Amino acid sequence: MNRIQVTANILAAVAIVIAGTAAAAEPAQLRNFEIAEVAPGNYVHYGSFEERSPENLGDNANIGFIIGKRCVLVVDAGGSLPVGVALKKAIRAVTPLPICHVVLTHVHPDHFFGAAAFLDDGPKFIAHRNYPRQLAARARPYLNYLRRDLGEFAGGSDIVQPTVLVDGKLEVDLGGRIVVVQAWPPAHTDNDLTVYDRATRTFWLGDLLFVDHTPVIDATITGFLAVMGELRKIDATHYVAGHGHSRATWPQVLEPQRRYFTVILEETRAAIGNRKTIQQATDEVGLSEAKNWAAFDTFHRRNVTIAYTELEWE
Amino acid sequence: MKSGMHRVATLLLALACAVPAVANEKAEPDPALSPYWEPIRQLMFGDRVINPDGRDVVRVYLNMRADDASTVPVAVKSQIDQTDSDYIKAIYLIVERNPSPTAGVFHFTPSSGRAQVETRLRFEDFSFVRAVAEMNDGKLYMSQRWVKAAGGCSAPNGKNFVPEALLGKMKLRFDDSFVTYGQPNLVQLMIRHPNESALAADFDADKVPQFVRRVKVSFEGTPVMDAEVDFSISDNPNFRFYFNPQAKGELKIEVEDTHDRKFTHSIPIAEGTPLPGG
Repeated sequence: MNRIQVTANILAAVAIVIAGTAAAAEPAQLRNFEIAEVAPGNYVHYGSFEERSPENLGDNANIGFIIGKRCVLVVDAGGSLPVGVALKKAIRAVTPLPICHVVLTHVHPDHFFGAAAFLDDGPKFIAHRNYPRQLAARARPYLNYLRRDLGEFAGGSDIVQPTVLVDGKLEVDLGGRIVVVQAWPPAHTDNDLTVYDRATRTFWLGDLLFVDHTPVIDATITGFLAVMGELRKIDATHYVAGHGHSRATWPQVLEPQRRYFTVILEETRAAIGNRKTIQQATDEVGLSEAKNWAAFDTFHRRNVTIAYTELEWE
Repeated sequence: MKSGMHRVATLLLALACAVPAVANEKAEPDPALSPYWEPIRQLMFGDRVINPDGRDVVRVYLNMRADDASTVPVAVKSQIDQTDSDYIKAIYLIVERNPSPTAGVFHFTPSSGRAQVETRLRFEDFSFVRAVAEMNDGKLYMSQRWVKAAGGCSAPNGKNFVPEALLGKMKLRFDDSFVTYGQPNLVQLMIRHPNESALAADFDADKVPQFVRRVKVSFEGTPVMDAEVDFSISDNPNFRFYFNPQAKGELKIEVEDTHDRKFTHSIPIAEGTPLPGG
């Protein structure tokens, strides 16, 4: 991280909000919302591994914030307006400083649907260069799904467009604290960002790192493995995964995810080589990993499906 | 035929916009009461009678809960033999809640071996997938499966990006290492193509999405399968089907997309010559 190149494309656009849902009659509230200070000035809320429900209100991803001397940067906003509101309350319990940036690490609903909670603060919403294209395509089905899962509690979880797009690296000055936002080639998605706090060497990986929760591939397995090879070179003292947390040290914490992807990669390649169909591959590949991961039944077969469609063209 | 197909697709698109965009059922609804099916049925089949319990003629195989809504493997299998006097001449594959519900119309002949096709589908919402088999005497038989998957139509091709140079490239993979004459042999056709969905919220109305419209398979000049397909088929369209060679010959694939690009691919088939697989 020594040679930081600032190659960010900044779009000075005004936040555009698509009014997606009508406001709920009674604003839903999370039962409890805890935060932990993982490094000085770096606060994390760990989301639940449960499936999204009216009880957890989409509080399923790790989200948090970094406080400088001048203002606050938010890393992901959670899976619904109530989660974003809870995060904002948590920030206000710690600091009165303005919220100047909201980083959306990638276009998945468990990470971005809470963004509307921060519109009043007028922050810059930072996302990957590829984010708007994916958001445009996915917003409607994601909203449909949110309503299906949360019912009336989906109200107010409006789509927020990013105002700053990152291609390469972007340095953000929070006042006496420089945070580096970095865009990555296709891996978990084609619009993954990480956030690195230089002062404490705290590395926020978004969904480029899953701990204990089944890692998810929404772009490319070979790309994900290649990006992981670059991630491990980052000089980090603390890290925050997109899902889950552990006492493992950096970069050893990457190892289980690397092993899981390697198993899928090798077994899917072998299945294709043995003339097996995509159905057979999803039935057979990677089952030895089942015991190691939460939500395996929900995500593993999907990972194999994506790996197969990528690897069958090799 | 092309303009006719296009008109149908456009009509269906207009139609799909008129029905509710969001459905919230979590349990499988009654296929006979689906409000989505009736307008599609009228448009595609008019007054023709469709036997609604056609499971002895044709069946749809899908996992009820799809793993990836942009790539949902589906198999449509004939339950009867293709004979000269009695055969399925077409199978209509319909994802009734997709914006363009007709994923494909697959034409077969007695020499197809079996009226069976496997492919991969996109799902915009939880939906019935219906297969209607049209017999050589014109009778229609239907069966369906309910599938829980959503958002797959509008997910753009962020994964599996197809570079221009690879567009239209094809690969054939065979189930067996060698061909056997006089019986149906299973073959998988893979086509490199983004098969763009017109559904994305940012879709430019002035642009025609590029997707594969027609796939024609023949063996030594005899039709095996002739399919009109749509963007309900996943990117890099993939089809598994049978062909029934009696002697050595050439298996030929002709593909045409919405931008009038034509791609062909063929391989020689002969006893004792290894068939590509992995």
